[in-house]
Amino acid sequence: MGVIVALTIKEAMRRRAFLGTVIILVTLYGLSFLPRAFKEAFGGDERQFELGVNIAVLFGIDAIKFFSAVLAILLSAGAITAEIERGYLAAILPRPIYRWELYVGKWLGVMLFSAANATLWTGMLWVSVVLQGEPRVEMWRALPYVLLYPVLYGTLAFALSSFLSASLASMFTVALGAFAYFADHFLRPIAAFFDVRLLQQMIWLSEWALPMATLKRLVQRQVDTILPPGMGDRPRFGRPEELEFLNPSVQPFDIAYVGLYILTAAAVGIIIFWRRDVQ
Amino acid sequence: MWAIETRNLRKVFRPLLGSNSIVAVDSLNLQVPTGTIFGFLGPNGAGKTTTIQILIGNVYPTAGEAFVLGHRAGALAAKRKLGFLPEKFQFHDFLTAEEFLRMHGRLAKMDGATLQRRIDEVLELVGLAERRTSKIREFSKGMQQRIGLAQAILHDPDLVILDEPTSALDPLGRRRVREVVQYLKEQGKTVFLNSHLLSEVERSCDQVAIINKGRVVVQGALDGLLENRSVVRVELKRVQPRVLEAAATVAQKVHSIDDRCFTAEVASEDDIPLLARAILESGGALLGLQPHRETLEDLFIQTVESEGK
Repeated sequence: MGVIVALTIKEAMRRRAFLGTVIILVTLYGLSFLPRAFKEAFGGDERQFELGVNIAVLFGIDAIKFFSAVLAILLSAGAITAEIERGYLAAILPRPIYRWELYVGKWLGVMLFSAANATLWTGMLWVSVVLQGEPRVEMWRALPYVLLYPVLYGTLAFALSSFLSASLASMFTVALGAFAYFADHFLRPIAAFFDVRLLQQMIWLSEWALPMATLKRLVQRQVDTILPPGMGDRPRFGRPEELEFLNPSVQPFDIAYVGLYILTAAAVGIIIFWRRDVQ
Repeated sequence: MWAIETRNLRKVFRPLLGSNSIVAVDSLNLQVPTGTIFGFLGPNGAGKTTTIQILIGNVYPTAGEAFVLGHRAGALAAKRKLGFLPEKFQFHDFLTAEEFLRMHGRLAKMDGATLQRRIDEVLELVGLAERRTSKIREFSKGMQQRIGLAQAILHDPDLVILDEPTSALDPLGRRRVREVVQYLKEQGKTVFLNSHLLSEVERSCDQVAIINKGRVVVQGALDGLLENRSVVRVELKRVQPRVLEAAATVAQKVHSIDDRCFTAEVASEDDIPLLARAILESGGALLGLQPHRETLEDLFIQTVESEGK
């Protein structure tokens, strides 16, 4: 399996993913210096500067979540069916390895590459804020949960790639992500305050279909201490159940569900790949 | 023990949408003796590639059984002793020839020392020893096919399945592949060769099977299949129906080529003077009469055409 992992990482390196990684690194590094640049250009007190750094860190974490998920989707969506169609697996499958070994090896390769990138980006962001005299250890606390973003999206795209072409697998993954994002960010406030049952059910469904909002809350909990005042607070009016629906608290079951979701998606992908004809 | 054995093998492809099932392989019974070079022939769409895909474990049969070196096709035990060169392949072209073979050797669970020795041997054998550090993307199509052959034989398999191994090769490359195939036979290996280049198959193979519409139509030793047939090419000023009728009284089969030529299959060479007399007596203006040994191509065309009727 190690051979497949190494081969997948090598493949990922030679695709333009590496160039994209460098661009994101430089961008994150540059953006994190904006608070300092603003302070020097327009003045302002130390509290405003700290607030600026915190916003840069929170924005950086969001960017890392987004780009690492995109990277994982790009690398995963073409992992199985597209490679079969191109003929890459024609000489590898007759080797004395189980199909699940090939699947898990490729999956591990993609996940390690994506996770390494996300860690590198986090490290770069951390270094830049440390250089400004504002270390933010919250970034490292959030990292394990941030890494679940590429794993979640990558595993889903990987499972879809076991029977769909690269474009369809990435399209369905992005569509599911968009549905989850839309439900959490736009439908949730409407459903909470206007008490629309259908919308509430859709949001509930979207969380089961892709636990992105669950993951968002898990990350948010790690960076609570650096949230700017007012951000993430519950509104001061509304019934308790509405407020809970609007901004759910983290449950012990949340991380287990994310883990279970990833395992299930991986198992479904393996079963489909195991049972399908390859030619 | 057979190197390959199939019993009533059947594969039906059913589309996800629609009801038009395709029967690719239909009650295929095949026996490939160990230590032979076996030609697997058939027209396009006959089911050759599907059969090979079942043998290497990539495609699951709908019914029937397939065995490779005594193991069920697709089992790890069978795969360990099997080498395969696919027809359509795309190798990881960012690797060098040596890196590529090392990767395949590790996938075949070879130990380090044996792997290094075998890499040297097979690169020499396929004529790529001097290009071992070149990236595969720098290789011509023919060289890629040869590195594909190298990966197929790298782990010293007992059975090598070659799917169109010479399709991208020039005559020199084809000769080298022929030499490799002969070398494998001398080593006691079984080579299962699927090729449309019938002259290549005829030169290399001991046994052949011709399949059509998913079934084995002819199978046996090549010498046996070709020796009993004596075909005469007859050239006339003009081929007339009465001449063909007269020829048919002597020949077992008469096959018109154009308005000046026809071929006649006679039981033995002794019948050729009788054939000439029958043509002349029917009023045919005989210009030439050339006996020739039936080729595999003749056998293939006749077999497939008669199956099509």
